[in-house]
Amino acid sequence: MASTRRIFLRNGAMAAIGTAALPSFLTRAALAATSASPSTLAGKRLVVIFQRGAADGLNIVVPHGEAAYYSLRPTLAIPKKDVLDLDGMFGLHPALASLKPLWDEKRLAIVHAAGSPDPTRSHFDAQDYMESGTPGVKNTADGWLNRALNASESARGTSDVFRGVALGTAMPRMLSGTAPAVAVGNLSDFGVAPRSPQAQPLTETFEAMYASSVDAVLHGTAQETFDAVKMLRAADPAKYKPAPGANYPKGRFGDAMRQMAQLMKANLGVQVAFTDINGWDHHVNEGASEGQLANLLREFGGALAAFYADLGPLAQDTVIVTMSEFGRTARENGTRGTDHGHANAIFVLGGNVRGGKVYGRWPGLADEQLYEHRDLALTTDFRQVLSEAVQRQLNPEHPAAIFPGFRDPGHLHLLG
Amino acid sequence: MTGKLVLTSALGIALLLTGSPLSASRKKKTVPTPAAASMDEQQRAIHALNRFTFGARPGDVDRVLATGVNNWFEQQLSPQTIDDSRLDARLAPLHTVRMSSRELARSFPSDAILKAVAEGKLPMPTEAPLKAVYTAGITRLNEKQDKKNAKFAESADLLGQSPEEMNAGQKERRQEARDHARARALDLMEQPAASRTQTLAAMDPDERRAFWRALSQDDRERLTADMQPEQKELLLSLENPVSVVNGELMQAKLLRAAYSERQLLEVMTDFWFNHFNIYLNKGADRYLITSYERDVIRANALGKFSDLLLATAKSPAMLWYLDNWQSVGPNSKAAGRNKDGKPNQGLNENYAREVMELHTLGVNGGYTQKDVTELARVLTGWTLEEPREGGGYVFRPARHEPGDKVVLGKVFHEDGEREGEAALRMLASQPATAHFICTELAQRFVSDTPPETLVQAMAKTFLDTDGDIKAILRTMFHAPEFWQASEYRAKVKTPLEFTVSAVRATGAGIVRPQGMVDALNRLGMPLYGEIPPTGYSEQAAGWVNSGALLNRINFALALGTGRLNGVQVDVSKLVPAAGDAAQTQSLLEQKLVAGGVSAQTHETIAHQQSTPAVSGRKLDDPPRPPNTGALAGLILGSPEFQRR
Repeated sequence: MASTRRIFLRNGAMAAIGTAALPSFLTRAALAATSASPSTLAGKRLVVIFQRGAADGLNIVVPHGEAAYYSLRPTLAIPKKDVLDLDGMFGLHPALASLKPLWDEKRLAIVHAAGSPDPTRSHFDAQDYMESGTPGVKNTADGWLNRALNASESARGTSDVFRGVALGTAMPRMLSGTAPAVAVGNLSDFGVAPRSPQAQPLTETFEAMYASSVDAVLHGTAQETFDAVKMLRAADPAKYKPAPGANYPKGRFGDAMRQMAQLMKANLGVQVAFTDINGWDHHVNEGASEGQLANLLREFGGALAAFYADLGPLAQDTVIVTMSEFGRTARENGTRGTDHGHANAIFVLGGNVRGGKVYGRWPGLADEQLYEHRDLALTTDFRQVLSEAVQRQLNPEHPAAIFPGFRDPGHLHLLG
Repeated sequence: MTGKLVLTSALGIALLLTGSPLSASRKKKTVPTPAAASMDEQQRAIHALNRFTFGARPGDVDRVLATGVNNWFEQQLSPQTIDDSRLDARLAPLHTVRMSSRELARSFPSDAILKAVAEGKLPMPTEAPLKAVYTAGITRLNEKQDKKNAKFAESADLLGQSPEEMNAGQKERRQEARDHARARALDLMEQPAASRTQTLAAMDPDERRAFWRALSQDDRERLTADMQPEQKELLLSLENPVSVVNGELMQAKLLRAAYSERQLLEVMTDFWFNHFNIYLNKGADRYLITSYERDVIRANALGKFSDLLLATAKSPAMLWYLDNWQSVGPNSKAAGRNKDGKPNQGLNENYAREVMELHTLGVNGGYTQKDVTELARVLTGWTLEEPREGGGYVFRPARHEPGDKVVLGKVFHEDGEREGEAALRMLASQPATAHFICTELAQRFVSDTPPETLVQAMAKTFLDTDGDIKAILRTMFHAPEFWQASEYRAKVKTPLEFTVSAVRATGAGIVRPQGMVDALNRLGMPLYGEIPPTGYSEQAAGWVNSGALLNRINFALALGTGRLNGVQVDVSKLVPAAGDAAQTQSLLEQKLVAGGVSAQTHETIAHQQSTPAVSGRKLDDPPRPPNTGALAGLILGSPEFQRR
């Protein structure tokens, strides 16, 4: 125990948060969660959500003002009466009703006809490109979200452990790289032998073992690790209660978003966070106002709305961006579904988002306007959206390193 | 889901635990701190084991000392002279690792193949067991479709129905199914294994899936425990054919790393696989990697670099992974249209770029974008026949770009397939290639930042011997830089090295791959799971971060105390039963960590053992024998065990 105290005292930045001082840490977290005081840069956050399987953007943000939409999709189109109209031209799928209030409050913006410019229609290649941030280049070793951390040294807080977090058991490609990042399947499992009655003594033994080690690399990492374990334990993930009104849907995605909010509210220094939601590859029986896509959208929109509500004042400094590897064919196919397409719709959500607007040039759905006569054409590169989000949330010193080879045409001014 | 659960039992091969081998001599030696400029003989033995194997087993250091470090290394360079029959016995039940890609694709059909058979585009096999696999697979595919329909309809039907009512009905139906399945399983247990397998295979596919699902994991294991490997493979492939192929691939990789006596061959196979990395889950590669690793990588791992390069270039796995099979010369006869009339996309530069950047010259190897395009033109026509059916490499002249090409300033006259062979051999013999390959080797075996003098000595051997891999390794082994005291136990283990070395140190038996596979996923190094062609980093320090450290510690505790799924371990066998706590601890430290642990680690563990609150013992409890499993967990989780 004595040695435990010693490392804490030796650890400059963390000295204030020794075992005895844990209540003050909690106070700090509580303060951060309740006061809407203007936060420092280190308090800003970027959340990225990947819809794996190629979501059908045309049935998610519906171009109901365009007649061609209805002729291309005789059985799949969302009837006008069901669409949640946004601006006379576009409307949300009815299963996204939970997001409509955020649109009305101008917290939700949409970029339509956006995505990766690479023409591939392979899920594997397209996801890889969107996560590496280098469409067309296969050998990029790290993910763009990890490079964003590396490019933003000055935005680093006191602890790195939770600076980049992926909610899920495996580290996603997007967050892989040399900047420290952690993948957490379940917050309650972040510890030494978390389910064992001996967890506490075992933690202390390993902590002491690594603290006395002369191995500089392992010593430093271990110190951060055990600090983080304590901080997380103080935040008591098992007893977490989301804010009133934050009703997360059941399921993996809702769980991930709830835990993400929890980490942020515990003031653990999260700056970028990632999670994903599967199941968007609807080749067969996609459904229209009801059906497979509708069910998935209810989960998706419900979790996003709950997350936003749960963040409370922290939402002001949080930007959430969604993406999917490509869109789906403008025409429905022979099995009441859609096949692999090209451009898609990106959601941008946050307290500081200039929402209530559909951004991007709409290329149209007439046959000659379609990409290769079959898919929604692309008018906004996903990196343009992300460049703005990264710059505003992390203020990187080396922005060019994040999307190498990308010539940024400038911000869309999505953020206020 | 069912498939995955059955996988664990289907691969439940009874493996003998490797007990602690007898040691030639057990003199207690105190290891001096590596302050001196070079290593003593014992340190040399430990260092050689640390760098050329997946970790020392208890007794290995003494065995290497008895043979002599140099002799041992020479033996390892000639793997065919080393008896590996014990490994072969462990691999024997894994049939798929010896099959050709065509056999694999046919015997364990993918969804694409099943769909083609269902649509009459491919014939249904006529042999009884295989026909059952196909029928089951097609039923499963249709059911997937139906389930989507049902789900679709259900969402409308469920409106107005109270959830309590539904749940009660569902619960009742589920319980009925379970009781029924249990009774049926008990009946089946009366039959001998062979006819039990037949009965199960002959069941209606829907019924059989419901049956498996209703059974508990224990009951499933009991039902298959006495079956032959091929019977288990059959049952598993009725539910999920590709999981047989990929499960056995992973199990074989782990078994070889942990138990092969030809350790250097396995380390080099791992090195070259990583250098010529391929991601398992890219479509047809699920069926192609088995042969790739066996016939391309391992077969050439200690041969000539140029042969290895050529073999990877023509391997179906690489042609598929880096898309060269799709590349068509823009001015070739086949340009524009494939045989089936579908348009093709023309030149694809992916492979041509990676082969220069990652496989040979290195990113700063002095080639241009023009060279990439020219090499892609050279390699047009190198394609595959029926890749989804496990078909092989074929050169198609109609797809080959006609005319001369210029790569790195050298003109390649129109010569069909031979152009590519010549261009690749030229790349293999470039000084930039020699330097790049030798840097990677030195990073793997010597240091994250290897001395340039060493790399140059190795590169010279590379060029002098036409890329003879054994000769390059010999140069490295005999170089003074290799034996610098500062390199002793200096490399951080990668997750694979860490987990496998823990298995070797404890003499554990990997019975099923699941626990190891899960651990490697959590540690960020999934087997065959690195997506980009770059492969995993050889600069191992990158493997140390907070999440990873906790996962290492938790792996160590789970392994030591025998709670790792599919791994059998009994560390108490490593120490005399009657030893007191202090003796047991010291002995375990020596056996598990070649070269021992630091005084600080020793003291911390000793303190933990002697503190009642910590060891979970009450003050007035009688002294109990030390918990060797927990002790082993602490030692394997120590800083010393993270390095090699």
